[in-house]
Amino acid sequence: MKMQKKYIILIALLAVLIIPLACKKSFLHQTNTFSSTVGSTFNKPQDVVALVNSIYDTYQNSDFMKKSMWYYANFLTHDWYNNGNDVVWNNYTIPSTFGALSTFWNDSYIGIARANAALPIIATAKAKGVIDQALADRLTGEAYFLRGMTYYYLAGTFGGVPLELDTSTTEPTTGLLPRSTQDQVFTQIVSDMKQAETLLLSKTTLPSGDLGRATKGAAYAYEGSAQMWLKNYAAALAAFNNSEITNNYHLLPKFVDVHEFDHQNNDESLFEVQFDLPAGGTQDWNGSWQPPGGELGWIDSFGWPSEITGQGYDYGSPALEYSYQNGDTRKYATILGPGDTIVSPGIIAQWGGIKGYPNVTGGYAAYLAAPNTDVTDKNRYTDGHGNIINSNGTAAYPWYGTDGTARSGYTDAKKWRDPNLTGGSGPQKLFGSQNQILMRLAEVILSRAECKIRLGDNAGALADIALVRNRAFGGTAPLVFQDGLQVDGTPAPVITDPMQMVLSEYRHELTAEYSLMYLLRRAGIDAATNKPYDEEFIHKVNHVAGAGPDNNPNPIIYPFGPTSDGKTHGVTYNDIPTGHDLLPIPQAAIGLNPNLKQNPNY
Amino acid sequence: MKKNLLLNGINSSKRSVLIILLTVFTSCIAFAQTRQISGKVISSDNESALAGVTVKIKGTSNGVATDANGSFNISAPSNATLVFTYVGYVPQEAIVGKSNVMNIRLAPDMNTLTEIAVVAIGYGTAKKSDLTGAVSSVSAATIAKVPVTSLDQALQGRAAGVQVTSNDASPGGNITVLIRGVGSLATNGNGPLYVVDGFPLDNGGINNINPNDIASIDVLKDASATAIYGIRAANGVVIVTTKKGKKGTAQVSVDAYTAFQSKPKEYDVLNAQQFATLYNTIAADPKQSVALPAFPTYSDPSSLHNVNWQDLVYRSGLTQNYSVAIRGGSDKVQASTSLGYYDQKGIVLGSYFKRVTFGNNTDYQPTNWLKSSSSIKYTFQDSQNPYGSQLINGGSLVQLTELPPTLDGGNKLTYLPSDGNGNFGFYNPKFTEISSYSNPLYTINNNRSYGLNNFLLANTSLEAQIISGLKIKSNIGINTSNFAGSYFSPEDDRAFNQYPGSQITNAFYSQHINSTFNWLWENTLSYDKTFGKHTINFLAGGSEQKTFWNGMGGSGIPPNGVIRDLAQVSNLKLDTNTPAGSNTGNGSNIYDLQSYFGRLTYNYDDRYILTGTVRRDGSSKFDESNYYGTFPSGAIAWKAKQESFLKNVNWLSDLKFRGSYGEVGNQGAILPFQYQELFSTGLPASANGGGVDNLGYPFNKLYQNGTAEIQPANIKLKWETDYQTDIGADAAFLNGDLTITADWYNRRSKDFLLSIAVPAQTGFNYLTQNIGSIDNKGFEFAANYNHNVSKDFQYGVSLTVATVNNKLTSVNSGASYIQNFGGLNVPGDGWATFSETHIGQPVGEFYGYKSLGIFQSQTQIDALNAAAVAKHGAGSVYQHPNTQPGDRYFADTNGDGIVDANDQVSLGSPLPKFYGGFDLSATYKAFDFNAYFYGVYGNKIFNFQESVLESFQNRSFVGVENVSTDYYNNYWTPSRPSTVYARAQANDDVEGNNVASSAYVENGSFLKLKTFTVGYTLPHSLLQSINVSKVRLYVSTQNLFTITSYKGLDPEIGIQGGNPTQNGIDTGTYPSSKYYTIGLDVTF
Repeated sequence: MKMQKKYIILIALLAVLIIPLACKKSFLHQTNTFSSTVGSTFNKPQDVVALVNSIYDTYQNSDFMKKSMWYYANFLTHDWYNNGNDVVWNNYTIPSTFGALSTFWNDSYIGIARANAALPIIATAKAKGVIDQALADRLTGEAYFLRGMTYYYLAGTFGGVPLELDTSTTEPTTGLLPRSTQDQVFTQIVSDMKQAETLLLSKTTLPSGDLGRATKGAAYAYEGSAQMWLKNYAAALAAFNNSEITNNYHLLPKFVDVHEFDHQNNDESLFEVQFDLPAGGTQDWNGSWQPPGGELGWIDSFGWPSEITGQGYDYGSPALEYSYQNGDTRKYATILGPGDTIVSPGIIAQWGGIKGYPNVTGGYAAYLAAPNTDVTDKNRYTDGHGNIINSNGTAAYPWYGTDGTARSGYTDAKKWRDPNLTGGSGPQKLFGSQNQILMRLAEVILSRAECKIRLGDNAGALADIALVRNRAFGGTAPLVFQDGLQVDGTPAPVITDPMQMVLSEYRHELTAEYSLMYLLRRAGIDAATNKPYDEEFIHKVNHVAGAGPDNNPNPIIYPFGPTSDGKTHGVTYNDIPTGHDLLPIPQAAIGLNPNLKQNPNY
Repeated sequence: MKKNLLLNGINSSKRSVLIILLTVFTSCIAFAQTRQISGKVISSDNESALAGVTVKIKGTSNGVATDANGSFNISAPSNATLVFTYVGYVPQEAIVGKSNVMNIRLAPDMNTLTEIAVVAIGYGTAKKSDLTGAVSSVSAATIAKVPVTSLDQALQGRAAGVQVTSNDASPGGNITVLIRGVGSLATNGNGPLYVVDGFPLDNGGINNINPNDIASIDVLKDASATAIYGIRAANGVVIVTTKKGKKGTAQVSVDAYTAFQSKPKEYDVLNAQQFATLYNTIAADPKQSVALPAFPTYSDPSSLHNVNWQDLVYRSGLTQNYSVAIRGGSDKVQASTSLGYYDQKGIVLGSYFKRVTFGNNTDYQPTNWLKSSSSIKYTFQDSQNPYGSQLINGGSLVQLTELPPTLDGGNKLTYLPSDGNGNFGFYNPKFTEISSYSNPLYTINNNRSYGLNNFLLANTSLEAQIISGLKIKSNIGINTSNFAGSYFSPEDDRAFNQYPGSQITNAFYSQHINSTFNWLWENTLSYDKTFGKHTINFLAGGSEQKTFWNGMGGSGIPPNGVIRDLAQVSNLKLDTNTPAGSNTGNGSNIYDLQSYFGRLTYNYDDRYILTGTVRRDGSSKFDESNYYGTFPSGAIAWKAKQESFLKNVNWLSDLKFRGSYGEVGNQGAILPFQYQELFSTGLPASANGGGVDNLGYPFNKLYQNGTAEIQPANIKLKWETDYQTDIGADAAFLNGDLTITADWYNRRSKDFLLSIAVPAQTGFNYLTQNIGSIDNKGFEFAANYNHNVSKDFQYGVSLTVATVNNKLTSVNSGASYIQNFGGLNVPGDGWATFSETHIGQPVGEFYGYKSLGIFQSQTQIDALNAAAVAKHGAGSVYQHPNTQPGDRYFADTNGDGIVDANDQVSLGSPLPKFYGGFDLSATYKAFDFNAYFYGVYGNKIFNFQESVLESFQNRSFVGVENVSTDYYNNYWTPSRPSTVYARAQANDDVEGNNVASSAYVENGSFLKLKTFTVGYTLPHSLLQSINVSKVRLYVSTQNLFTITSYKGLDPEIGIQGGNPTQNGIDTGTYPSSKYYTIGLDVTF
């Protein structure tokens, strides 16, 4: 009987032990300590501001801006070529699997979703009194602006794209919408920009700490351009003529200053993507574009001559340099050929010009150490008279690249402005923190000129073009429109057709920025020939009869440059194939959304 | 009140009568000529004393039992025969001779179908013969046959339906274990649940268990068997039972072996002269689409100094393993203590794996109704792989075949990889074609890393018997695992000092730690009772298990080569936020399970057995509305042999049929909180941290925070459910010498969980969802034949074969296929996609272009281009504008006249049609032999490494790389046309000859002699004097030969990184090689 008592105790004990297991459902409740839930966020104004900041962050990505937008805007025009892994751009055979296209597509839609999601959260925060009406308006305006601007570049690059506008965060879209037409997208952009125009702050009222945020002026500029894509030239003209643009933005007196490192967010800039070198950050590969690095630009030093940086992934077409009209100050501020010296005041102040870069001083020192035997350094780093070189190669020995692969010897001078960078040599400083201008007043003025031409006001158009050209020529531009040499080295004919004047000005003003190909394609079909303006223009400025494809046995003879030795040095002469003025929808996007149809001819 | 369990249930008066009868009987015998016989009974396998062996005089019921030391005393007539019987051992008879001492060696009964074989089934054991589910067991004896690092390796080919693949041969390298195919596409979504001594290892770590400590491994395969583990059971359950002490004299065993590992096979690549010759040939070739600059250093190939990187980095390895254990016990306390030390020097310079294990199992039975069992296992691991292993882990090993085979023209101080005076050669930093390469010897010698891991698993249970058959048990345990590691690479300015303007590589330091703590509390009630022909086994219980995870780490540039302090580094980057389950990340997480389970087995007349199992699991990984899932299963078995019409059929020793159906779950693939709408706030990027998309953005050059939704709410998210059917049969013939088990199974995995690429239009690149369904069907067959030819000669043959028919049956996201995703990023142009799993096809099917050989003439190309122009207009080309004779010719599979991304097709499956193991063993006198083969058949391998060996371009980079000698001797030239190898070029990014295509898909079938062992056991007589009961010496080899048509080094290629979409792709990683082992087992 003694034992039975023991059993009873034991049973009771174990029963007590089992019972707690059965009762506590709360055991399974766990609080997320890794990420925030909606309830734990957006209770302070800065939380709501941060929500909108992340939409801007979409653009801080090298594949997004450089390898998609910039490549499209410039490689397709054949003013510029690639000498890295992306040589497929040089002959218009960009595959739908090109990696950066996916980044561009995906990040655009993520940015659009961020904008969509921000709209109801801002409204809720306003209703709860977390933010006031003024801040709610501004933030809502920024969300509309950024959504519209992202659609602008998507549609500009791919044509019609799916219009994702659902703002619900709890019932996410399936992401299976098919493509809308290009016109539907631009109609939506107009609508978004119109909302933004009413809600955003004017440049005049934007606090200095918010420099870089979208303004009413920027919204009018993008609305105007979107209207042009829709052929609503009168509406576009009205947008461009809005006082938010005309009163608040001004052309800088000197063209060279527009892209200078110490002129970021200047008076001409309507919208630029902001970059910054954070305290403690580096500009070497550790601080690079790849995860988990920072968010610096991948556009500056990578395009400089490989003789200076060991890289040299972009190079220019001699045809571009030779096409500048005599006296145009934009020429050397845009492209440097063999023997040309750098004109950037910032670079000259920092390095004394090209002669100050470590590879140049090192190479020159190597030459001095062995002046009779070191032919490589002599050719590369002296001016031919025993002095250190201070030009972009020399006419006798162009900088074709240290690795001898195909490069023309011409360099992008618009992106050679950041005095902090040295490229891949020495204590590497590769990644730049210079802002990237997407929209500036000169583009608006030239677009406005195109509108006027379309509306029959040629005189007005010429007046607008003159605004841009006068600055380019350092005061007063010649009245005759005449490019320099043509691609075959012969003098160019005088341009008399106003539309061709505008296209030529788009090129000479805006090449190597984020606009040119977009503007050429926006022009649409040339009624006189029933051919797309972009095809015609690119053919005209890059192609001559008999030039033929790359490796042509009889290349065009320039005084210097890629053909001075009878080789083409990576300059190709093929025309843009039909339909390839659009990029292919990324294969991966089609794989995930079978409702997407590829662009024709891809 | 002590109870004699054997006499339990017999009332006291009957007991008294029995005792009197026995007394009378024994005294009667005493009238005959009886002698007092004494002796000892030991086990023949490990020489341990056997306590409780029944010793009976044949033909009588007169008998005794051996004591704790295995000793017995019995009075027996001189002509009597003594019968020795003991559970789990073959009965033995011995005639009483002249001697009064009889020492008996009982042999363990290897017959797995015999009545007494007991298997662990989760929360209890069952007789093998009474099983209704599909369970494969691997015994300690089998595990001991092969010297392995971790116990999952011991499972390879031993259990039908369990596919084990060594993914690479690095020390402590990773193993893939798949039970009945792939049910999920998620990374690490297919691993089985390991239960070690009753503790479910929720966070992995099975390689912390010393294989020498294992008593048995039972693999639960079908839903009937696994359902008791509910939401974690879909991929099968591996129950590991470690060795315990037994009643009897203490036994000390020492196992030691040393294994020499040969240098691996090497790829045959060019020497310096051949390489420079090829370089010069291409540089002078006007047909190159991208010109290769001349390199003066290579102008005279004969002057170059050769470097064979594979020879320099690979070496022979050495493994030492020591294991000491003491096991034994008294009637009340049995204990087992073991210590293990494993030390492997890897075959890649600088690589090693060290493991120290300590374990103790103690069983204490103070009274006959109360029992406690405690188990502690501690493991320390230290491993290094300074040159990396797998490509997926950022390993550099793949470079060994790519590095140019000469360092001439680089370091002005030495052309040698290492001159012994601290100078390491380097490639010319100014010559871009080779400047991106670094010298592996420099890297291995100068970079420092360490990674230490501590693992503790401890649990204890208390079990009480309330009344006969009714037991109550409480089990409490903990499992904790801590990792600490760091990496340091010093500043490298060597090139800068010799070549002004060259780049200086900054020093780099990283450090990370993480810890996991897991506790478990389980209470069970069980009742076992037989009423006449009815036997009932009932189990019910509740369980709670909770995991705490914490991690922290970062990296940056240290101020000098000495300081290893994260606080002093500049450019500090914190580990990326990867939550629980990974080795990196910052933060903490808690996750738990709350469960109830029950199992009822009903056995009628030992002929019909029914089992019903159910588990209800609550998991914190899901939304409150989806906390709980219920997983039921049922099974039936018919022991046909017990029927009257078969009982006397002598050729059939046993026959049983089984059938089961059940539902089990899988939630292992996902991390906590995947159901919540979550926002992430990016750093203001005050230092370059937080990932490429840090969400922050500067205004007026001042960073502000950014916040974005990183995951939408998905409260519908739930566990994967597997619906499994199993029909099986067990049969035995030839008096049990031959046993056969066969199973057919159908496993339908529905709603598998995956963080899957979704259309970016959703606003996200990846979302965790219940994605779709995968079917696995197949047969499993195991046969085992053991025959004792004579006392001196026994042999055995065993075979396991399994088939898997796997296919994706649905995808919910709207897409019709799932591309490869995850960590394996093969650095070749056109290799971003190498697998696509389409609905109706096997998981991880290879994907790419179909190669039709090599273009032999321009006419051939022109004709195709003309056809393309006719269909698509001017400027169109068939394949590529630059295509020339000598380029690879791809098929236009969709017939549109041009070859583009739409022409990629499925190129074969990495999954075998069948796989299995074949084991031959024999003992002859004191010698024992074992040969063990493992093979797979019908799978394909995607030989990425071959495409590397055919590419002179350092793909995706600027520069050149080495190629295979075979390619060099046979690549296409106009005068040496080839139909296999494309022409040599400096930049394949343009032509795309080496893109993922059928040219690199090969038959992956192989048969490997995994191990061959010969052992010799020293004669007992020799050892008695030194008090040693057994000494066995053995020699063993592993991977002695492989029969395969595969061109690469080793066809055994697993799932890279545990991700089924990157299965069977050979990235030329850590090769396997032959092991030669000498071992010694001593018991005393």
